[in-house]
Amino acid sequence: MSDLQPLTSYATVQTWLDGLRQHWGGDPERDDPERLEALEAFCRFAEKDPDAVIDECVQVRNGEKRIRAKGRRRYADLIAQFQSQVQGSRLRRAKWGNAVRSFLIHNGILLQAGLQAGERGDNPNPGAGEAPDSG
Amino acid sequence: MEFKEVIGRRRSIRFFEPDRPVEREKIQTILEAARLASCAVNAHWAKAIVVERDQLSEEKLERLKTPVSALNIELAPVHIYWYADLSVVNRIQGSRLKELVDVGALAPTHGWSHKFVDEFVYPQVLRPMTEGPGYAVAAAADCGVTICQALLTAFDEGLGACLSAFNSAIAKELFQVPDEWVPLYCLALGYPAESWEAGGQRPRPPFEEQYFEGEHGHPFQRDQAVVEKLKQAKMIQRPATPNNPERTEEIKRLAERLGLPM
Repeated sequence: MSDLQPLTSYATVQTWLDGLRQHWGGDPERDDPERLEALEAFCRFAEKDPDAVIDECVQVRNGEKRIRAKGRRRYADLIAQFQSQVQGSRLRRAKWGNAVRSFLIHNGILLQAGLQAGERGDNPNPGAGEAPDSG
Repeated sequence: MEFKEVIGRRRSIRFFEPDRPVEREKIQTILEAARLASCAVNAHWAKAIVVERDQLSEEKLERLKTPVSALNIELAPVHIYWYADLSVVNRIQGSRLKELVDVGALAPTHGWSHKFVDEFVYPQVLRPMTEGPGYAVAAAADCGVTICQALLTAFDEGLGACLSAFNSAIAKELFQVPDEWVPLYCLALGYPAESWEAGGQRPRPPFEEQYFEGEHGHPFQRDQAVVEKLKQAKMIQRPATPNNPERTEEIKRLAERLGLPM
């Protein structure tokens, strides 16, 4: 990979930021600049620029854009590896991994990785949201 | 809960309390409701395998995940895998229809008799049906009634639930599913981690676009007085709206709490 350009110059990063803005409101760059930091770190980890990451997860067949299952699987694994080597607390590792997942998701690559903030069994608040008149 | 309110409160719940188990009694209640569902020729194609997530090894749970259902499978403490057993009609050969004759559900007033079942219904209608191309579709439609009854009962029991497709090849291997069973849906089950309102009733196509009177193209006229009555009965509830800030905040909170991407 040649050196990365400023991240916001990539079309897929713009798509991501637009998606975040449209879905969650606010200014994603200003509200949480760590997101871009996480994506940049991932790109260096994977040795791919953001557009190349997305490009490897899609293919065009018979004129239709499709998700490339192998590419998605590869990146799901790479994100998990990346997340595990992020410095800091488990929450910070999860945040950085999820920032990259969010980048893929807002570029149309459906990705579910399950609970990242804690193992099952760590839930601090069981019972919240129960129907008040259950039963 | 009143019946109409159960219908009104049902939403596909996708955020479950991962650590709050579902009482066995509630699971049985859901299955009991399924068993009582209306079913063509009393065949009862619908079969279910209940799986407690925590009884599965991590490796098995991982294998069951699909890109779309991975999170539901992980969050929901209970999964109910639904199937249509296509072998049932030729196995029972009309015997359950004759049970209906015996208990007076199908009576001679409507032309029914044991002889009619044995000589006409099974050999001339049901058996050939099982060899026709539309058989699986008919059986699956029938199972839909059963699954819906289970689904609504889950909500009546204060649970949340969501139907989704599942990895049938892996499930077949893990749960020893017979070859004749056609996979339908997985009902993910658990206590909701989201509010029961979950943003409101989900968008639906206009009434008049779906239902007709007398002939296709002539919409069934929707009476607003009935609509108002159903609102009073809590069957028709506040609709979900795009970009609802309360819902957005709720999902943000859940994403942060459970560690999910946004």
